Amino acid sequence: MRFQDAAKDARAVVYAGIQADPLVARAATLLVDATTAERLLARAAMNGERTDPETWRRMFPALFGEDVDAGLRDHAGRVLAASLEVAERGEAARSQYRGALVEELTARLLAGRAGPDAPVRRERRVLFDGVRAEIHPYDVTVESSTNPEVYDCKWGARGINADVLNQLDDARAHAAEEDLKLTVAIVVFDSRSSCELRLDRATAEHAGTRLIALESFDELARGGK
Amino acid sequence: MTDREQPTPATAGEVVDRAAEAYSALAELAETIEDEWQYVTDLVDFYLPGIRSLAEPHPGAILPAAQVTAVDEAIAEIALVEDPHKAIDWLSTFPHVVGLALGGDVDGAGGERGPGGGAAGRPATGEDDDSPFGALRGFR
Repeated sequence: MRFQDAAKDARAVVYAGIQADPLVARAATLLVDATTAERLLARAAMNGERTDPETWRRMFPALFGEDVDAGLRDHAGRVLAASLEVAERGEAARSQYRGALVEELTARLLAGRAGPDAPVRRERRVLFDGVRAEIHPYDVTVESSTNPEVYDCKWGARGINADVLNQLDDARAHAAEEDLKLTVAIVVFDSRSSCELRLDRATAEHAGTRLIALESFDELARGGK
Repeated sequence: MTDREQPTPATAGEVVDRAAEAYSALAELAETIEDEWQYVTDLVDFYLPGIRSLAEPHPGAILPAAQVTAVDEAIAEIALVEDPHKAIDWLSTFPHVVGLALGGDVDGAGGERGPGGGAAGRPATGEDDDSPFGALRGFR
């Protein structure tokens, strides 16, 4: 098994520009240190119609109420500001920004525990001997020679589909044929229950695929499960 | 609700009824995506009881103004949604926003068929202990 850079088509070149936007890095930095409630705020605001911050402050008294710790309130305010910047990019662009953000957040959390012998990379394919290469690259990979990991990132549970699940499970199975344990996971910036409802109906094999949902993003930084 | 006036006092039951009604209307919009009909139905079957459970055990209790405002703002937000795809995103998100505002959990009342094949949703302890309500308990 080996990792390889994905060929860059026109879509990838455009998307790379979004991935490199400082707004993506700033929002991801804030979300690395966020509570689950702040991540819920980010999801709601980036999905939202209104971009007036006071509206969102009123909607989340658990983060902005008068009795909330000033430090948490300030951090939540910065999460909200970045989220509304994404929302203000417009309908066409914001979905790409949201996707890029989930990938960046995933990569940063993984990088917090990965050492130099397990570099965290983006947009990589996985090649197996005698197996036709997959079309779609993995969003994030941890390229350890002994405990490699591949992650597919989604903004919402609606993004969980048979193609994604099949690709992840195929990779896991092919690695096993080479006596290698490949951790495969789908990372979704959506609630665990909504993801599990989606998975319950999925006919594609996914028993060996980890789910990282909104409530459990910090697991990425801990690893091991 | 978009002005900054104090909301009319409301009971937990009244606020939750408003949220449930808005959620049902959102589901009607989302159902227009035929390919997602099953998922929309699953979301509603799971979350609508969860929303309603937020009024328990004291549906007649008068809620603090901030909680009423928070839920009414969430209702106003989803009332603006016109795109059925976005409606599906909000079917997943709105219950948790309302749950956080009211200090309750919408994941535990989805009937016998909880997601993940469990009897009632999430595990009682462990990885999902960092629910949105963890913020209220002060941990990150």
